[in-house]
Amino acid sequence: MIVTKKALARRTFLRGFGTVLALPLLDSMIPAFSATRLTPGKPAIRMAFCYVPNGIIQKDWLPTADGANFEFMPTMKALEPFRDKVVVLSNLAQINGRALGDGAGDHARAGATWLTGVHPKKTEGADIHAGISADQVAAKVLGQQTQFGSLEIGLEEPYLAGGCDSGYSCAYTNTISWRGPTSPNPMQISPRAIFERLFGDGETTDPAARIKRMQQDKSILDYVRGDVARLEPGLGVRDKSKLDEYLESIRDIERRIQKAEEQSATMKLPVMERPVGIPETFEEHAKLMSDLMVIAFQTDMTRVVTFMMAREGSNRSYREIGVPDGHHSVTHHQNDPVKISKTQQIDQHHVKSFAYLVKRLNETQDGDGTLLDHTMLLYGSSIRDGNVHDHHDLPLVLVGGKSVDIKGGRHLRYKPETPMNNLLLTMLDKSGVPAETLGDSTGKVDQLSGV
Amino acid sequence: MSKIIPVLLIVSGSICSAAPQAAEQTALVAKYCAGCHNDKVKTAGLSLEGLDLSKPGNDADVWEKVLRKVSANQMPPTNLPHPDEATRKAFTAYLQTELDRAASAHPNPGHPTIHRLNRAEYSNAIRDLLALDVQPGSNLPPDDSGYGFDNIGDVLSLSPVLIEKYMSVGRMVARLAVGDTDVKPVVDTFSPVKEVRAASKGGPKVPRNERISDDLPFDSAGGLAIHYTFPVDGEYVFKIKMPGAPAPVGDTIVPASNNLELRVPVKAGVRSVGLTFMRSSAVPEILPVFGNGRGGGGGGGRGGAAPPLTGHLDLRLDGVRLKLYDVPDNGNGGNFTEFSIAGPYNVQGAGDTPSREKIFVCKPAAASQEDGCARKIISTLGRRAFRRPFTETDLKPLMAFYTTGRKEKDFDNGIEMALRAMLVSPDFLFRMERDPAGSAPGSVHRVNDYELASRLSFFLWSSIPDDELLSLADQGKLRDPKVIEKQVARLLEDPKSSAFTSNFAGQYLYLRNLASLKPDPDVFPDFDNNLRQSFEKETQLFFNAIVRENRPVTDLLDAKFTYLNQHLAEFYGVPGVYGPQFRRVEITDPNRQGVLGQGSLLMVTSYPNRTSVVQRGKWVLENLLGTPPPPPPPNVPSLDPHGKDGKLSMRQAMEMHRANPVCATCHSRMDPIGFALENFDGIGAWRDEDNGSKIDSSGKLPDGAAFNGAAGLRTLLLTQHRDEFISTFTEKLMIYALGRGLESYDRPAIRTIMRDALKDNTTIPSLIRAIIASPQFQMRKTTDLRSKES
Repeated sequence: MIVTKKALARRTFLRGFGTVLALPLLDSMIPAFSATRLTPGKPAIRMAFCYVPNGIIQKDWLPTADGANFEFMPTMKALEPFRDKVVVLSNLAQINGRALGDGAGDHARAGATWLTGVHPKKTEGADIHAGISADQVAAKVLGQQTQFGSLEIGLEEPYLAGGCDSGYSCAYTNTISWRGPTSPNPMQISPRAIFERLFGDGETTDPAARIKRMQQDKSILDYVRGDVARLEPGLGVRDKSKLDEYLESIRDIERRIQKAEEQSATMKLPVMERPVGIPETFEEHAKLMSDLMVIAFQTDMTRVVTFMMAREGSNRSYREIGVPDGHHSVTHHQNDPVKISKTQQIDQHHVKSFAYLVKRLNETQDGDGTLLDHTMLLYGSSIRDGNVHDHHDLPLVLVGGKSVDIKGGRHLRYKPETPMNNLLLTMLDKSGVPAETLGDSTGKVDQLSGV
Repeated sequence: MSKIIPVLLIVSGSICSAAPQAAEQTALVAKYCAGCHNDKVKTAGLSLEGLDLSKPGNDADVWEKVLRKVSANQMPPTNLPHPDEATRKAFTAYLQTELDRAASAHPNPGHPTIHRLNRAEYSNAIRDLLALDVQPGSNLPPDDSGYGFDNIGDVLSLSPVLIEKYMSVGRMVARLAVGDTDVKPVVDTFSPVKEVRAASKGGPKVPRNERISDDLPFDSAGGLAIHYTFPVDGEYVFKIKMPGAPAPVGDTIVPASNNLELRVPVKAGVRSVGLTFMRSSAVPEILPVFGNGRGGGGGGGRGGAAPPLTGHLDLRLDGVRLKLYDVPDNGNGGNFTEFSIAGPYNVQGAGDTPSREKIFVCKPAAASQEDGCARKIISTLGRRAFRRPFTETDLKPLMAFYTTGRKEKDFDNGIEMALRAMLVSPDFLFRMERDPAGSAPGSVHRVNDYELASRLSFFLWSSIPDDELLSLADQGKLRDPKVIEKQVARLLEDPKSSAFTSNFAGQYLYLRNLASLKPDPDVFPDFDNNLRQSFEKETQLFFNAIVRENRPVTDLLDAKFTYLNQHLAEFYGVPGVYGPQFRRVEITDPNRQGVLGQGSLLMVTSYPNRTSVVQRGKWVLENLLGTPPPPPPPNVPSLDPHGKDGKLSMRQAMEMHRANPVCATCHSRMDPIGFALENFDGIGAWRDEDNGSKIDSSGKLPDGAAFNGAAGLRTLLLTQHRDEFISTFTEKLMIYALGRGLESYDRPAIRTIMRDALKDNTTIPSLIRAIIASPQFQMRKTTDLRSKES
């Protein structure tokens, strides 16, 4: 038996999808996939990159003291319970987020550089170009063990009409995750879509039925691959690159099916209800997505999550916490204390939701400890102050459990203008992802493991 | 001068006029332009030095830029010496003529990239291919857009998530279309959305309780109406949940006595299901007249309370009553809380659905006929799905899927498997145009007839070509201009052309953004989802009427009619409109005429809690005048609506902002336009005051043109800026038609299109026809960069 729930807008004729979109009830409220296959002693490291747009008010974020004796400022207060796992970082910069002769468009460049460190090409669409992002570098390596290289999760619909930022393609503000310089990963904002991606949208979780479906899918992919090969000769390079994207996606799915087949033998069943619609408030939406991230890590479906808590340049309003203004509007505060305070309330609200994710990871058993023990989370923005759009001294905080070789409980102040990509490179290194350089990195950041 | 003559001979043959003209214009450029635009100074990165003005076609991209700037009077700058008006006009006329001449001798139609179907196109293609109207595209991730539209080949990217979705949606579609009898029962649950509005500003909200759908009886109130796809012939259970006594804390189970259940056999297919309250005969059919007829933005408001729901709940299937329930109000408002459809149980068969009729063009009577029939079915579907002749090479792998599926279960299952594969094939998912074998890189050719059929159907229907278009392509007749003209008329006449409104107008007029806006309910207590949908519907019907009735494009701004229902009419303060149906209404208030007076546009260019003079001004500059303001320089603060001390009016605050010369260059154009619309609040309701001060909607543009209010702005746009408006609209339409951004080499085509359309009063259909007739639409340039032949 399968249940869906739909709110029916008045005067809308919902074309019921009947069975096809329906959801398993009893047996399949419980996803059929298994927990981690961890080898004792060497737990798998998970990575999460959590992004907030429009900067963070610094005076309420950044501790004044360096080192171990720092105090939690109001915005970051929700993370205080995890003090020994928290490293506050300052003075890291995304230098390529600056104009560098390209004029306006700091929001687009903020989104495009946060995990890439590559100056994006200023264009409305046809020839978008940034760089591979750190999460995707990790996904390529860590993803070999899991069905999904990574999950990209967002909380806000991409903008659908009109331009996005000053002559930049909407891709730059809609996502922070890039498979390659020309391939942005869309953020998935529907909890149900993520659930179905992880655990299938079939009507049953019967392993035999699932395996049969996977085999059908495989033969379809074989067919499509042959078709593409037939089509490619003689096409223009741009056309061909589109078909290559298609082939690359097919390979990714084939690999996943293979993993799923391997895993379907060993099943443990974490309990979670299949989500229905998109929750109305930011907080509920963020919580549900956090629950999904936890379950994805727990079942070892993926080890990398990119979480964009709002589109860069977002003008979402946060009425539920008493800030009906658009987020982007209030960040241009012109030093008006009222607007600064409103922005700060939003900042704090974001961090609270992030803290919920940390808390859930901390409560979830994984191997010899908790998930948080085996997870490294980066939280922050690619703009320092939304009022002036600068890209140095970015608000960043790293949270890491005991297995990830990060010594928490400190505020690390780096040399001004240190590339943030040095941090990303170090994070990759600590997750067992070998990478020599990334974007504009000049080396690794020291001190993360302790002085 | 003599050395240029041979070239002109080749290009035009009109040496007598052009040569001396070129000398004259070259002198003009030297006098007024070259001071800044030379190799040394290179102002704005532009140098005109060394360019041969006798052959502007050789440097078309530069001269097109010059032409635009000089035509729009943006160059030379106001504070520098100018040629007189006649000289300037002669210069632009010369440039234009020469550029157009060069382009018509050597057209460059561009090279659109391979184009993945977007969500809307996918849904429509499935609908037309399989007679299955279930909007499957809504299950795909949103498409990225570029140049203001989401059908731009370059921008439509692919990701593993998307392919996975194509696979799962394709599977669902195939199962539903074929009518898989192994389908498991499901429950779909629907909630009635309570539309409420405050009787007075800030007052308590009351349900509207109007008749909500044409599928419901006239004397009905509230409830819901849905079009539901019943997958197979079988039994289905309709379940109505009524509010019970408050449930114990922590327990949400509603006592069984509150659930009404009915199990009935239903035939497969899309059927309307309605659940509504019947009005008791004591309640008058016509609702009381609301407000005082001037209302406007809830000022008048609802006179009395909404009619209460009665205790008669009516359940209908395809308009026929299944059951009438007595549901006494137990103090919970009487409305039901949830309605669900569960099934199928006791499956009888796949049924006779339009989908099956469309798919099964033959039915094998014996096992020996099966393979032949399968070939016929797959080939018929394949030709439509791939939009071209379906070959043996196409058929072979799909027959393999059929064979596997047939072995596994039965004939239908074999077809379902083949269909599943077909729907993920790149031939279905991509619009691919191929350069003819052996065509030289950079050369220009006509697209083939099938490609043209697809260009037509995707432009006007956002869908695949139908059999008529494909047959014409088969016969090689489609390239005949007379045939095309007839087909364009037929396509526009077809109801499927509503896709043109929802996709083109939906993006040009930003209607798509309506759904995601969240006006602040404290500031706009009158706003509800019903109003949101009404805004969208109004503008859609309005745009659609202008297209269908072959009206001039300028009607978008000054048509004296619109489409309203009671709710919207009350909101606008238009008297005499009763009931929830939309109908055409004459608009006498000049401020409300055209899209600039419609709630949809006024709302999408506002912030959640206030209007935005800048966003409105920017929208007009960008979408009506084609001169989008350059992006703000970095580090510019946004505006404080009431000044730092909260005492300034919006206008005063903006004037302060404009005192900064950096800001002034753009805001002197944006702001006056936005101010003209200030009488409309953030959701488009009329107002005379803002923050206690009377609204001053007068404005003056930098060129001195003064105007007052929405009506004045509109008049200005349609007189002094008429050409800009028409050319901007044409450009947008062209981007949408071609699925690519425009380049300087498209400009001669745009001018030709506008000239052609002018003969037909520049109606929207005349622009559509002229675009379709243009080389940009009918031709294609062979790619310069080709992948290796392998």
